[in-house]
Amino acid sequence: MDLSQLRSERRGRFWGKEVLPYLGYVIQSGVAVLLLFLLIAFSAWYTSLVQHIPTGLPIRWIMLILFVPLTVNSGFRTYLQPADTVFLLPQESKMNSYFNASWISGVVYKLLGLALVFLISWPLYVRSDGDPKSFWPFLIILIALKVLASYGCWKELRMVSRRATMAYRLLRYVILALAVAAWLWQPEGRSLIFIVLLAATYIVALRVPAKHLVAWDRLIAQEKTQSGRVLMMLGWFVNVPGRQQRIYARKWLSWAGNRIPWKPEAAYRYLLMKSFVRSDILGIVLRAGILGALLVWWTRSGMMGSGIYLFFVFLAGVQMSSLLRYHSESFWLHVYPIPPGSRRTNAIGLAFQIQLLFAVLTWLPLLGAGSDRLGAVFLTLATGVIVCLLFRFFAGRKKPSDDDDE
Amino acid sequence: MSGNTVLDIQGLSGGYSLNRPVLHDISFQVKPGEMVGLIGLNGAGKSTTMKHILGLMNPQKGDIRVQGKKREEDSETYHGSLAFVPESPLLYEEMTVREHLEFTARAYGVGRGDYEERADRLARIFRMQDKVDSLSTHLSKGMRQKVMIMCAFVARPSLYIIDEPFLGLDPLGIRSLLDFMVELKEGGSSILLSSHILSTIENYCDRFIVLHQGSVIAQGTLQDIAAQAGTTGAGLEDMFYTLVQGRD
Repeated sequence: MDLSQLRSERRGRFWGKEVLPYLGYVIQSGVAVLLLFLLIAFSAWYTSLVQHIPTGLPIRWIMLILFVPLTVNSGFRTYLQPADTVFLLPQESKMNSYFNASWISGVVYKLLGLALVFLISWPLYVRSDGDPKSFWPFLIILIALKVLASYGCWKELRMVSRRATMAYRLLRYVILALAVAAWLWQPEGRSLIFIVLLAATYIVALRVPAKHLVAWDRLIAQEKTQSGRVLMMLGWFVNVPGRQQRIYARKWLSWAGNRIPWKPEAAYRYLLMKSFVRSDILGIVLRAGILGALLVWWTRSGMMGSGIYLFFVFLAGVQMSSLLRYHSESFWLHVYPIPPGSRRTNAIGLAFQIQLLFAVLTWLPLLGAGSDRLGAVFLTLATGVIVCLLFRFFAGRKKPSDDDDE
Repeated sequence: MSGNTVLDIQGLSGGYSLNRPVLHDISFQVKPGEMVGLIGLNGAGKSTTMKHILGLMNPQKGDIRVQGKKREEDSETYHGSLAFVPESPLLYEEMTVREHLEFTARAYGVGRGDYEERADRLARIFRMQDKVDSLSTHLSKGMRQKVMIMCAFVARPSLYIIDEPFLGLDPLGIRSLLDFMVELKEGGSSILLSSHILSTIENYCDRFIVLHQGSVIAQGTLQDIAAQAGTTGAGLEDMFYTLVQGRD
């Protein structure tokens, strides 16, 4: 069996049959145009920022916040399927030829993204930092760290113990954060020695835990998450059939939804709330909220703060729209006596409330602008609420899908 | 006709394609407090019949009434009158066992007090007390099947549609399920049960419907089936074998 050919066929099937047919709709959708507009607006803002850099810009912290996640985050598309534990298991010892392409594409595409962000951020860095590092060494260090993180991530996927995987994941974050910080704050030579020693220790440490030859279950679960994310992103623009995303236990949020009124009309809301708190969407909204609040706080004294705030409220709305497609193919929703119409009403209502809460919380840092901007600050909040209402209005106007309430 | 009937199927024909119906003119009834066994070979049409009852497929001909109501007349009452246990567990990965039970109770309009009492009892009967706060992804296949059964039983509708419930259950689980079904039956609930384990269900079901190639080839009590099969003193398995033998 030609395993590399098999992977290549699966890859072609996923992108060609599951993603490509929707790209036309993505281009046509209003959200894509709006994102393009936002991209142009960002470019204009960024150009102006580079030309008029504010004094005391914490550029090293900005670079650290920007590049630690970019170097640490690693993932591999294996296109493995649950049935592979039966049919590919006999080929386990030869699976390297299957995974080689996964490893290469998992690293190469992310390196391209990293290099692009580096190129974009370079003018700001080189003009703001009093003692900037040279271009090529900086880029090479970032690439080397990215390869190191990918190597670590790949080893983590093979570890037998789940606890070891978690611990090594944490270690990867710490090592990469230390390395990037050392590079940004310390002289080149000294930081280079530190990074090399750190990387060598990390590589040795990675050899310690026991590993599977192929960690089938984990790789299959990871593939499910990765493909689910691609379809979730497509779902921002067009209706795509729901695909199960990764589930997070989040026991600390198990109380969420318990106070929803105990009646059939609100039963779907209960299901949706439970799904939301254990989904990828909550993680994305929380991260966007924290980042948004920080950026809003940082730019609170000008109109830029209001613009960034509204952008994040919009982003939360786009993300929350995924909630409307949750459980669109659920078997039980056809069998249980859920009152007609309640699914859509519940989904739109819940998405609106969460977006509104997001809008209020990320607006709070603007209050730090002082009393002289109070009028503009409240006007910004009002605009944020209007954005939430618009999302609710347009969600309500969309034609319900065939599998919705009958 | 449907006055004292929980499930009434008359002249049902249906399937995935208009040109090739899978079910042919099926008629049977399930009365209050009755447990009826739906038996047949693989592909006989048992699951398709159940899908029609659940409203997942529309009949090409014929009527299905639950508690005297067709699905088109009042979908909420229709669905509220039945609960389903599928052959393979279908659970929400993002919910715990307790949350599945609670979602079901909410959807069926079961009061909170009744839900808590039923959920506790079911967890005890099916030995799931220490799993109620586990996510469904962390359960074994048998435990997942138990959750399906518990969800159906927490709703307490008048009709249960149960498809191959014993698959994956441990012997104690099977015994608990059978005992609980008897209890429900004695309480006036009706059960339409499909299973291939004929030796087990022959002692529990009041009547049997034998499906073969989408048609009812025999139905009635064990004695009626024996008479139609022309066998006396034989078990259900032998009767079934005689009935389907040579009909292909």
